[in-house]
Amino acid sequence: MTNNKLIIAAAGSGKTTLIVKEALKIDKSEKVLITTYTIENEREIRSKILRERKSIPANITIQTWFSFLMQHGVKPYQGSMNDMLFENDIKGMLLSNEKSAPKFDERGRPLFIRGGGRQYYGEKDFKEFYFTSNWRIFSDKISKFVIGCNEKTKGKIFTRLSKIYSTIYIDEVQDLAGFDFEIIKMLFKSNINISLVGDPRQVTYATNHYHKYPKYKNGKIKEFVNSELGKRIGCTIDESSLKKSHRNNQKICDYSSRLYPDFEKTEPCECVNCRKTTAHDGIFVVRENDVAEYLKTFNSTQLRYSKATKVDLAYDVCNFGEVKGKTINRVIIYPTSDIKKWIKSNDAELKDGTKARFYVALTRAKYSVAIVYNYSDNEEINGVEKWKG
Amino acid sequence: MNLKTAHIKNFKCYKGSFKIDFSQGVNILVGENETGKSTILEAIHLALSGVLNGHYLRNELSQYLFNNEVVESFLSNLKNGKNPELPCIHIELFFDGHTTSDFAKLQGDNNSMKTDAVGVSFKVEYDESFNDEYEALLAEKNELQTLPIEFYKITWKSFARDSSITTRSIPIKSVLIDSSNQRYKNGSDVYISRIIKNNLNLKEKAGVSQAFRQVKESFMSNPSIEAINKQVKKNSHISTNKNIEISVDLSTQNAWETTLMTYLDNVPFHQIGKGEQCIIKTNLSLSHKKSEKADLILLEEPENHLTHSKLNEFIKSVTINCKNKQIIISTHSSFVANKLGLENLILLSKSKVGRKKTYINELPTDTQNYFKKLSGYDTLRFILCKKAILVEGDSDELVVQKAYMDKHDGCLPIENRIDVISVRSLAFKRFLDIAKIIEHPVAIVTDNDGKFKEKIIDKYEDYEGVESIKIFADEREELNTLEPQIVDANKKQLDILRKALGIKKSKYNSEKSIVNYMVSHKTDSALKLFETAEEIKYPRYIKKVIKWCDDE
Repeated sequence: MTNNKLIIAAAGSGKTTLIVKEALKIDKSEKVLITTYTIENEREIRSKILRERKSIPANITIQTWFSFLMQHGVKPYQGSMNDMLFENDIKGMLLSNEKSAPKFDERGRPLFIRGGGRQYYGEKDFKEFYFTSNWRIFSDKISKFVIGCNEKTKGKIFTRLSKIYSTIYIDEVQDLAGFDFEIIKMLFKSNINISLVGDPRQVTYATNHYHKYPKYKNGKIKEFVNSELGKRIGCTIDESSLKKSHRNNQKICDYSSRLYPDFEKTEPCECVNCRKTTAHDGIFVVRENDVAEYLKTFNSTQLRYSKATKVDLAYDVCNFGEVKGKTINRVIIYPTSDIKKWIKSNDAELKDGTKARFYVALTRAKYSVAIVYNYSDNEEINGVEKWKG
Repeated sequence: MNLKTAHIKNFKCYKGSFKIDFSQGVNILVGENETGKSTILEAIHLALSGVLNGHYLRNELSQYLFNNEVVESFLSNLKNGKNPELPCIHIELFFDGHTTSDFAKLQGDNNSMKTDAVGVSFKVEYDESFNDEYEALLAEKNELQTLPIEFYKITWKSFARDSSITTRSIPIKSVLIDSSNQRYKNGSDVYISRIIKNNLNLKEKAGVSQAFRQVKESFMSNPSIEAINKQVKKNSHISTNKNIEISVDLSTQNAWETTLMTYLDNVPFHQIGKGEQCIIKTNLSLSHKKSEKADLILLEEPENHLTHSKLNEFIKSVTINCKNKQIIISTHSSFVANKLGLENLILLSKSKVGRKKTYINELPTDTQNYFKKLSGYDTLRFILCKKAILVEGDSDELVVQKAYMDKHDGCLPIENRIDVISVRSLAFKRFLDIAKIIEHPVAIVTDNDGKFKEKIIDKYEDYEGVESIKIFADEREELNTLEPQIVDANKKQLDILRKALGIKKSKYNSEKSIVNYMVSHKTDSALKLFETAEEIKYPRYIKKVIKWCDDE
């Protein structure tokens, strides 16, 4: 039996609730870590626990992925990684949204390689590769550092960690990428009980852009588990515990599942409280000219890919990327041209990022999703109803 | 887990770095005054609790924490136009044993050994964020009279570089029991409060806090207090809408700690004898029941306030209850050290090169065994004096003492911390083994037994050139023991010698006959010489040893 587990969660299936419930069940003498990528989600986990208990139990630690990596991966053996780090403190982290450590000339102008791309420091320049001039570590290289340091110390990082924690939950695991996978592998190898929970369909961030395991970026954690662990490391994949959505109704579940045919279809839950119906439930396409009337009738929240999209500012509006984790009664989505192609024919190819964001947008709604789409009367569109004002 | 090694740098009397190892159970630090025993206990307690002399050090940094010589050399280097690095105090504690979760959190390579270890690091160091201010200060004045302590900070980290550590997160709880009796300003004893608090679980602590709060609240609602407050209000002419009243301090969270008093048979704890206090504090900490937490009891010179029988009682209770506890005791009582087991002895000494520690188990095995079997307190007498003179028997002891007194206005050597110890001559080498390691000044006064080469030269060749060890003997083999030596020294005033010995010239008219008398009345003769008012002359080798006593 393996003590490693990957739970694929449907949107709105209550994965944070599940983690919190499980963590609270664990004996107080055992130390538990719950880690997640975003600060918002860390806060959400905290408040979920505080709804159950008066305080966070002393045996449970909640911290973001980066803070966890800094505390237990980078700092304990930084000196063994490089002698310079006995003398110098690492003064936190610099969040890098693109590849870090570009080279500059002495006047501070960027240097380029012949083909036109930027020049970057390589691992040989240890200090410059990993750190800013005042010893802040680049966020995109933290997990690479941890893996390197673990190799250099012959596994001390994970040996130490396994003495501290008996159980680790990693929430929003779909956001991990690159060397994070290697860290997961090492965690799986250890005797810590590891539970990964996430929805691979909802990748909206990535922890690092380092070119390690490029095959598995954009939430392909399941594929990683299936093909990279080797015989000795086991991991159970659980796609059923969290496949039921407490948010979306049958029609929304069905339609959103079409985006990811390789995953088990999500299902609506059977809780009486979650299953209220209204006169306008399901997926609808709305012509641009009818949007004003639609908004007036249903007061739906407008969801758009980016700020560039024109919306009706009299009604609520959010970008796709901002609504993760939220429940909204009714939404109206302004699709990109690629998304429109997909609506027309579900065989159309969608880029991973676009697909994930569209999936997030679709699965926000409790009752109804409208998509702004100029259909013609004789056009046949699968899975949606045509709304006529 | 338990404390394995303490590494102390530039703290108080420790100049540069000093390392000392401890074993799991009882550890006894023995040394003369000023050898840094208490400083070791203080340093350990500081790195575990952040507390020095009963106060959190954080807000009470001072130059006097630093080794004086280190500060002086910094200041003089600065004065001489050099750019010296600001001195830093560094205390590191290495833990050892089974690594539980709490201890594993302290594991990493953030230590001066650069190894993978569990422990904490406590620094008083220059805060680089004051670079501008410091440079401005130096620009204004070319020299400093004192360490710029206002630019210093405390850096308290685990070996995993986690700077969020607190007394709570370090699973080794230390209790320092010393004779100085630190008290809160209103009288309750810091340590006793701490010890009692350590014994309570969270619920009990909350209970005490609440009960205390209730007492204070009922104080406020007491009719006479209410009446007084009305009176106060009426009589005070402050602004109209403000309310003035007397109350009890409710401000701090742990107010009860500082306000509540511990009583023993209705006597406030700090009013009882210090000896009794010491026993109670120690027993309280020994009875600590939280088994998940390791305890370290630091005990400073328990003999200070205890009578012999109390001390005996005290040591008994320490030996019975110290299972699973680590104890570090500083003492200069050979009684304490002997009773608690010589195998746990760590000798501290001060030599020209610096401070030294010697573990008794570093000694050659046969010497170790000898001292373990040795009854009495001679071992420690030997170590704890300023200089030791080893002699072969009672008569030698008396004569050497008397020779010393004659030269020092009747002052006994022990009064100047020079101890004359009578040992079987076979055991001399055992003592020399210790003296060699700890560089302790020792003189041996011995007969040549008629075989100077064999008995003196050959026997002590291992110690030749050891600066702290001196052998005093006379090479004239015909004068083989003390008695012929004395007679020889007084051969020009045999009458005086006879008078001192209380014997008659008619019966003892030759040197030879006096020697014979003395040899057959060994102890008696020595006693007579010790007590006499006559001016006896002493053999050369004895005069030399007395001179050695006065050497610096």
